[in-house]
Amino acid sequence: MIRLGAKEIVEKIKDEANAECEKIMSGARETGKKKVEESRAEIELQKRRFIEAEERKGVEEKERIVRAARLNARKLKWDVEEEMIAKALEEAMNRIKEVKTDGFKGNSYSDIMAGLIKDAAISIIAGSSAGGDELEVIISEEDASFVNKKMLKKISDEINQDRGVNVRLSLSGERIKSAGGVIVRGKGVEIEVNNTFEQRMARLSTSLREDIVKTLFMTRSV
Amino acid sequence: MAVEALKLIREGEEEGRKLMDAEKESAARIIKDAEEEVKRLKEKAREDEKSLAVQISDTYAKEGAEKEKKIVENAEAEAEKRKANAESNLENTVNVLLEKILGLV
Repeated sequence: MIRLGAKEIVEKIKDEANAECEKIMSGARETGKKKVEESRAEIELQKRRFIEAEERKGVEEKERIVRAARLNARKLKWDVEEEMIAKALEEAMNRIKEVKTDGFKGNSYSDIMAGLIKDAAISIIAGSSAGGDELEVIISEEDASFVNKKMLKKISDEINQDRGVNVRLSLSGERIKSAGGVIVRGKGVEIEVNNTFEQRMARLSTSLREDIVKTLFMTRSV
Repeated sequence: MAVEALKLIREGEEEGRKLMDAEKESAARIIKDAEEEVKRLKEKAREDEKSLAVQISDTYAKEGAEKEKKIVENAEAEAEKRKANAESNLENTVNVLLEKILGLV
């Protein structure tokens, strides 16, 4: 009777142990599975965020490349414009030699020099308080053949008649180094007008540049 | 007889304890294996991120380079056109410049 009772007890102990074991194993499997699943979900979320961040970086880098390319494109356009503007100015200066021999638009070089002398003289008179002015004309050695006393007399007569003044123009023995044009200076007065081509280009640079851009890059309609 | 019964019960209890201990060890191994799996998954995710980063960066860099090429090509063509147009207008422009420099306007 007692042995039968003991066997039952032992069986019960074994059953309870087995049940507990199953509970432990089931719990462990459940815990393990949950750990792995949670980890997968976290990794997936992190992966999505990572991709978003990398995509943003990628887009920014692509936009940076495109911005740089557009800047380079603008620079290329400016470089071509500057190259052609410089070419136009250089060509104009190179043509001066032709102008001296062949004239320009029906004007001989002497006429052109006369115009520059008259223009400079009038500017000096306008700035001077005195009614009579002794002005001297300074030119380059190369241009010496284009200016003479007769021409200067004619110019001064024109000015005197138009302006009611008494201007006398004379050719200075001094010479300048210049592509062309004149300097007109008051004798004994510190006033001069520099109408050499170089100075005129410098003085008129802004409007010359506007003219160049307007005419050089004008698109002709076909 | 009573002693024998007690002996049986103790043996039964001992067996039960051993079984439970063994199962606890197995359970610990299951959890450890799960943790190893998590570690492995995270390591793989890190590796995947590295190659994803390269892939995404390469894709956008390629798109950027393609756009850049088109922009540069267009700009060069436009510049050539502009230069050719300017060359055709050069004579006129020089005449306009000379008029001003020579004081004829």
